[in-house]
Amino acid sequence: MTATAAALLVLAALLAWPAPAAFARATWTRRDPVVALLCWQALGLAGGLSLIGAPLVYGLGPWGSSLPAAASAFVAGSAPSRVTVAHWAALGLAALIAGRLVTVLVESGVRVARMQARHRELLRVVTRERTVGGLSRQINIVDVADMVAFCLPGGPPMIVLSAGVVAELDDAELAAVVAHERAHLAERHHLFLLAFVAWQRALPMVPATRRALTTVHDLIEMRADDRAATIAGRVVLAQAIVRIGTAVAVPSGALAIHGGVTATRVARLVDPPRPLPRAAKAAALASALALLLVPTLLLLTGLFSAAGP
Amino acid sequence: MTGGPLASLGELERRVMECLWAAPDGLSAAQVRDQLPDRELALTTVHTLLTRLSQKGFVEYDDGRPRRFWATASQADHVAGVMHDVLGQADDRDAVLARFVGSVSPAEATLLRRLLGRRRASGPSSQIDESASGLVSGSDGADPGERPERG
Repeated sequence: MTATAAALLVLAALLAWPAPAAFARATWTRRDPVVALLCWQALGLAGGLSLIGAPLVYGLGPWGSSLPAAASAFVAGSAPSRVTVAHWAALGLAALIAGRLVTVLVESGVRVARMQARHRELLRVVTRERTVGGLSRQINIVDVADMVAFCLPGGPPMIVLSAGVVAELDDAELAAVVAHERAHLAERHHLFLLAFVAWQRALPMVPATRRALTTVHDLIEMRADDRAATIAGRVVLAQAIVRIGTAVAVPSGALAIHGGVTATRVARLVDPPRPLPRAAKAAALASALALLLVPTLLLLTGLFSAAGP
Repeated sequence: MTGGPLASLGELERRVMECLWAAPDGLSAAQVRDQLPDRELALTTVHTLLTRLSQKGFVEYDDGRPRRFWATASQADHVAGVMHDVLGQADDRDAVLARFVGSVSPAEATLLRRLLGRRRASGPSSQIDESASGLVSGSDGADPGERPERG
């Protein structure tokens, strides 16, 4: 049981820092953002699972060699003799970590939903609904000259364009912008971000959390680009990105967070990278699945103690 | 144009706010009704709209008879507030709303225009210039976050 706990601890440590740091540097991800996003979700989930699992498995050690066996013995009230303070401390730690992760996730979700509701109320009174770019969908137009386009997910979804964007872009470009935002809404991209927003808020001192959040954000933008490009055309979408992105140039220091992704997005629209080969795709998805299965199996079967001395 | 019986709740609220924004001294519910484009609305409906708007913090009223309603902030203030949040750098901004594209540095702007320009110059059907794509997309190369400085 101790070996299982140690294995989970190693896995948790790998998933907390080296694995996301290395994965954030990978460049194949821009060739298939969907596969990359699934891998990121697996990474986060496996990390949480092993982080909780390591102290839990250690603490339950005296009761049984696997989680189900130990849990049923624990609930049945059988009291093994070899329980020490360390075991109880480990169980407390597991509860603490699990509680913390769940609390942060719920808090983040509530705060985000509240801000979305507030924004929706505000936008409803300051924007006018109308159609643009020959599309049938109603778009909310906010009367400012700045070049801004965004969508507000959750609740009744809202696509907002500034009057500046409507004035400066032609119909095809407007359709591309709207198609991009519709892709975000249709695929509920904000849910992919939520866990990483929570993780970043829980551990702001760990640089990997911010990198993970930024990387997932960038992949979501690429995914929305891909969907919009099939409707509006790659070059038209790239033109829309460049027109809006370059309308207000900011000093370099201010964009440490979201810097390079715009150039990457335009480059992959103008000169599409080769799609990921089917075998590579399958390998990436299999790795993601394995990543989830390793901590799960360690918890459920206690492989190490069964095989060990 | 606008108007008509199918105006949504949000649309009605916006119209009420526009009446109030145009009247700095405030209006009674009856005055608001008279200024709305579709005068068919019942006074109770206008009252309901004003109550909802005050619950949301957009409207205040006094104890007079009839009550006088006024906007708590100007339209420009509300727009500025929204834009501040949209353009800001809050940690969870990206989860709250999805912005089409962020602002870029002057160096990156130049790079972006060059990328598009090469595409236009080379035409949609011809081979893309290797050096243009090499600037950013490249083959599988360096960290995307470090690209703009090179441009």
